[in-house]
Amino acid sequence: MSPQPSSTNPNSLKIQLAYQFLHNLNNLNSKRSNLATTHIRQRSNRVKIAAYASMAYVVGSRRAWSRAILRTIRNRRMLARNKRVDHKITHRPRSAKRRNPKRDYVDPNGNSGQEVKLRKLVPGVEKMDACGLLDETADYIKYLKTQVEVMKNLVDLYSTI
Amino acid sequence: MSTRRSRSRQSTTSRITDDQINDLVSKLQQLLPEIRTHRSDKVSASKVLQETCNYIRSLHRDIDNLSDRLSELLENTDPTQASIIRSLLTQ
Repeated sequence: MSPQPSSTNPNSLKIQLAYQFLHNLNNLNSKRSNLATTHIRQRSNRVKIAAYASMAYVVGSRRAWSRAILRTIRNRRMLARNKRVDHKITHRPRSAKRRNPKRDYVDPNGNSGQEVKLRKLVPGVEKMDACGLLDETADYIKYLKTQVEVMKNLVDLYSTI
Repeated sequence: MSTRRSRSRQSTTSRITDDQINDLVSKLQQLLPEIRTHRSDKVSASKVLQETCNYIRSLHRDIDNLSDRLSELLENTDPTQASIIRSLLTQ
């Protein structure tokens, strides 16, 4: 597993993500024995969380976005253990909402508007400088693309069984 | 103030050059699915950022939709992990 994104074989990445995703899905099925009776919304939410978790586990703590996702998942687990339901965290994992979301990061090109939007979309990049932000975004997109491919393959597979 | 903080961070570390930003932006552009202009270079950075935001949003939507479909399909089938991995790898 090479740390440089440009030299990572895309197929091996896809296989890693596939393994991790199936592992997470399997955990979902075994942990919740009453999965069939839970609401479709909750099931779909759990699959979605498994998807983001797979991406984050494969990357580990190497990237700010994966660290942010792992943090959100651990928070969610701690809350579930304390038998409290926090609906905010069951949605798509985001970095924790700051009290003052309107920061004026202006990069040399003056793209403050787009940059702010990008910081909201990529987890874990709120405090990063412009270079780090772009780097994290590229990495995040790469993993998102591969995860979507894995899920599409799975859907095709299950549809034909 | 946040702007003061970010400015001081830039002065203590090396100043982020335009070239660095341009390199990263072009690297990002290569990841995007389509290039709307007929020239692949010299697309404006703000356009690349905008396309990036749209692309990330559409990928998030894809994951949401695929999660919906997968959760429906998973309900009906009882997957054997080994056979699934085998079929995934042979695709």
